Amino acid sequence: MKKNSRIILLFLIPFLIVIFLFGIFIYATVSNYSEDYLFRLLEARANKVAKERFAGETNFSKEEPSDKLPHEKDFFIPINDKLDIISESKKVGVDELFFKDVIKKGQARFVTNEYLYKGIKYKSKKSDFIVITVAENYFEINQAENLIKTMLFAITAAFLLLLYIAVYYSKNIFKPISAITEKVKEISSENLHLRLSEDTAKDELYELTSTFNDMLDRIETSFETQNNFISNASHELRTPLTAIIGEADVVLAKPRQTEEYVEALKIILQEAEKLDNKTKALLFLAQTGFNGKVQKFEKVRIDQLIWDVKENLDTLNSKNKIHLDMELLPENPLKLKVNGNIQLLHLAFSNIISNACKYSDNHVTVSIGASDDYVYIIIKDKGIGIPENEIKYIYDPFFRASNTKNYEGYGIGLPLTRNIIRMHNGKILVTSIENQGTTVQITLPSIKTLS
Amino acid sequence: MRKTILIPTDFTVNSLNTLKTVLTNNSSDTSLDIILLHGLTLNDSIRELLFFSKMKQIDSLTNNEFEEAYEVLCNKFDSQINSFKIDLFTGYNQTAFNSYLKANKVETIFIANRKQKLSNRKSFDLSPFIRKSNVEVITLNTNTETLQQEKGKITEVFLNQVSIS
Repeated sequence: MKKNSRIILLFLIPFLIVIFLFGIFIYATVSNYSEDYLFRLLEARANKVAKERFAGETNFSKEEPSDKLPHEKDFFIPINDKLDIISESKKVGVDELFFKDVIKKGQARFVTNEYLYKGIKYKSKKSDFIVITVAENYFEINQAENLIKTMLFAITAAFLLLLYIAVYYSKNIFKPISAITEKVKEISSENLHLRLSEDTAKDELYELTSTFNDMLDRIETSFETQNNFISNASHELRTPLTAIIGEADVVLAKPRQTEEYVEALKIILQEAEKLDNKTKALLFLAQTGFNGKVQKFEKVRIDQLIWDVKENLDTLNSKNKIHLDMELLPENPLKLKVNGNIQLLHLAFSNIISNACKYSDNHVTVSIGASDDYVYIIIKDKGIGIPENEIKYIYDPFFRASNTKNYEGYGIGLPLTRNIIRMHNGKILVTSIENQGTTVQITLPSIKTLS
Repeated sequence: MRKTILIPTDFTVNSLNTLKTVLTNNSSDTSLDIILLHGLTLNDSIRELLFFSKMKQIDSLTNNEFEEAYEVLCNKFDSQINSFKIDLFTGYNQTAFNSYLKANKVETIFIANRKQKLSNRKSFDLSPFIRKSNVEVITLNTNTETLQQEKGKITEVFLNQVSIS
């Protein structure tokens, strides 16, 4: 509310100052002009009455009354030695300076609130005269009040109008910001997938929302990575432990031969070594910043990465038939280098490729190519596909298409992958036809080499 | 060995598959000068002729996917490609086409047996000129079925297979 009234004031004060200056200016101009006009009339009148009087044109004077200005009075004062300026000026009601001006310059003006005085020097045949015409200060008496009223009314009306506009603006200008605030309040660690809706207009607010969304992308990715990581890690750790416990249980069930003990201990040792290796690897990962806090970006060769992913997936499931299509691999391997985080990209690609394997009886083609600016990775399967009307939801966490009931999964792989690709300024494009297959096209910007 | 080849194009990613086939089947000791040619009728109005710019015209006809796709191909077959250019043919008759071929020293024309998709209304099909021309013409069998889902995407150039007949 405080901000609102501040904005209203900010709007109104300059406006009021401007409009008042404006009003004063108009008043001054109008009054000036109308005075000038009246004086010119007076001068003409003075000349006329003087001519009339001293030329003795009597006919002329009979038609006169209609020509008279409102409240017109004429004075004729001869200029000779007997002229007493002080008493004359009192009689006419003007300043002494007025007479001096008339004598010196031939004409003078004098303004009071009610009357306008115009004096000219007239040379008749006998002697010189000062002719003074006095008329009502028409503008001051009849129009000034009206003008001021009109202007005050206009200013008030404009003020009210502007007040309305200012209130409207002050409410609406913060509407998007309060909308953003509302939406941000909704977002917590449980629903990190929510995003602010981005306006198409490329203004500051757009930048704000997109920056915020980018930040959410990063946060969500690190959250998901950790979740994914923890579940994978615990699974990895549990397998050898189960083996050890099982083996020990079996051996302890009854007394055994020495060879059998040796055999069992060997197995236990093997599994324990595995466990040790995995713990070491975990420690190593933690140290190298896989915890989502520090993400190291380095040069990554995409083909190498894909080979690693393939190898990794092959060891997990020997039924996989991942075909790496190197037909369009560029001759210059430098074009395959992207700036990225190996672990994250590895995770992203293994997600996509293992998805492709899962839903398509393990026949997957991965093609790699590079243009001058981008590296393209295309993963194609001929599996169950995604129903057309569900394809827009595939990036929602925990969403699983209706035809995936018979397959295991949690529905977090694709959103996570998208976030990782986004973090690398890349694009991911999923096209699919149900029961015909899915194609995923991933575009990553390559490192510009200066060669 | 150097060789100049010409491939008609309609600026779709799919049309690059002809180029892909040609390059795949090219023996590695031949370097190619490739011309992608598109037929375009020139406007008769003097104003348009005055401000006609081939580069701008090509720019307006190509799209991002097409450019990226041919860059991918160029990167793959870097050592085989000597030069690469996209050109417009604006002539009206066979003689003009023949002299274009002569001027550019075109030795072979590769043409796909699939119908071109002419998106621009001023474009025209070059194949009648190509058939009547006096240089070697090789027709490629493209498999016509393209999956609807990848239409126009760069994926087309990766996945579609074309065979030489």
